[in-house]
Amino acid sequence: MEKRSLAKRMGQHAYLMRLLVRRNIKNQYYRSFIGILWTVLNPLLNMLVMAFVFSQIFGRGNTGGLDYSIYILSGNIIFGIMRSSTSGSLPCLVGQRDMLQKTKVPISMFPTANVFSSLVTFGFSFIALVVVALFRFWAGAYQFHWETIMVLVLLPAITLFSLGLSYFLSALYVFFRDLKHIYSVLLTLWTYLTPLFYTIDRLDNPMVSSVIEFNPMYHYVSYFRDLLVGNIPTLGEHIICYAFGLGMFAFGALFLLAVRNKIAAKL
Amino acid sequence: MSRKEPMQENCLLEIKNVTMKFTKYDVGVDSLKELVVRAFKGDLKREKFVCLKNISFSINRGEAVAVIGRNGVGKSTLLKIVSGILKPTSGTVKCRGRITPLLKLGAGFDGNATGIENIYLNAAILGYTKKEIDEKLPAILEFSELGDFIYSPIKTYSSGMMARLGFSIAVNMESEILLIDEILGVGDMAFQRKCHAKLDELRAKGLTFLIVSHSPGVERYCKRAIWIERGRLVADGDTNDVFRRYTEMMNKNPSCK
Repeated sequence: MEKRSLAKRMGQHAYLMRLLVRRNIKNQYYRSFIGILWTVLNPLLNMLVMAFVFSQIFGRGNTGGLDYSIYILSGNIIFGIMRSSTSGSLPCLVGQRDMLQKTKVPISMFPTANVFSSLVTFGFSFIALVVVALFRFWAGAYQFHWETIMVLVLLPAITLFSLGLSYFLSALYVFFRDLKHIYSVLLTLWTYLTPLFYTIDRLDNPMVSSVIEFNPMYHYVSYFRDLLVGNIPTLGEHIICYAFGLGMFAFGALFLLAVRNKIAAKL
Repeated sequence: MSRKEPMQENCLLEIKNVTMKFTKYDVGVDSLKELVVRAFKGDLKREKFVCLKNISFSINRGEAVAVIGRNGVGKSTLLKIVSGILKPTSGTVKCRGRITPLLKLGAGFDGNATGIENIYLNAAILGYTKKEIDEKLPAILEFSELGDFIYSPIKTYSSGMMARLGFSIAVNMESEILLIDEILGVGDMAFQRKCHAKLDELRAKGLTFLIVSHSPGVERYCKRAIWIERGRLVADGDTNDVFRRYTEMMNKNPSCK
């Protein structure tokens, strides 16, 4: 008989988490020709399409001094953390049903691994952003700012937010299998309600402008863009970002805790 | 499952007054649409369905116990409760020692990953550290007899190969309790013989077994059997004895539901 210390269990969980994250990343671009390079190329190509559509076809507003290609890319990669975390997590408990019925591994491992994989993807996307910024810098359209490094202050907040939402969605999907369709529509709405490719001053509807204040993704995205132009966001902005993050995390974690025992029975 | 309370030295697993109830909707409600429509119609009848009633037994270190009973009487649910996957509605399960469940062999493998990667992933999910897996890897590889296929993605494996790999992982990791749910029909004859030999070896080492079965063949491992009927524990005793009574009942009343 063996008494396993807490430290050893934590170490074991960290190891499992590493394996799960690695598997997620590998599977994402599994067997594609240039493999992991896609994580950098994908946001770049998307950005090119958007930049073309919104600067050549539709008009665009005032980006607050930020080069438009960087404006689009920065918004998309921050939003992408949440998007890929949640849409990956949603089916993850149901997808692992065989595993979860076999062993009593903590179920939060699976959505958490998805969020961490999204953070890794963000890391690669960040490289893409730097590449674009370099090009724009040579063209004289962008100036680097040391404040960008403060993205490390933003990441914990958005990670907490994504974790909470991922816990909630992955657990709820076990009970309501049509959630997938509902969430994909909601995610589209959410994408359009976040100023990713348009700017906030383009909104003519005052109601929408006030509603957008309650969109946490708006705050995360504009925080990041503030950094890119060399502004440090106000203390209030920090509080808002962390309040959304902690609030969502607490909600999701409590929800998962509450339904944990029902999940194994329902799967 | 707290481990603080003192237990008898020899008792590895103690099940006390375990009752399991499931909520069963009339028709399975598993979509929001369904829930909303039914809520409006006032058609949301729920039924509590009692799967296990007041089951108590304990298993000592080194014992091998067979669980028998007809399909759907709650044997697999019992195994899931023992392994901690399901939490009983009431009652307690105390367990001292690590459990390896041999339920659904080869389930939960990742098709895109290679055999080796799946060994690590599967064992990590079972709760082993990297060091422990590293140590056991040669034994697992040897036992599975997969040769160079171990470096190919799992999705190229046949179902027999996958079951072999699953079995090899489960029996080669050191644990105190092995839960087995009717899986000994895996692989070809030679591999089956090897499985049985391995289980014999583990028995000789003093591992505790809990086997769900329908066939009297488990006598090979189990001196003791537990018979579950409609969620209740009907008999607990010598395997031959319990199986005789079980067969008698089945013959007398073959269609009873």
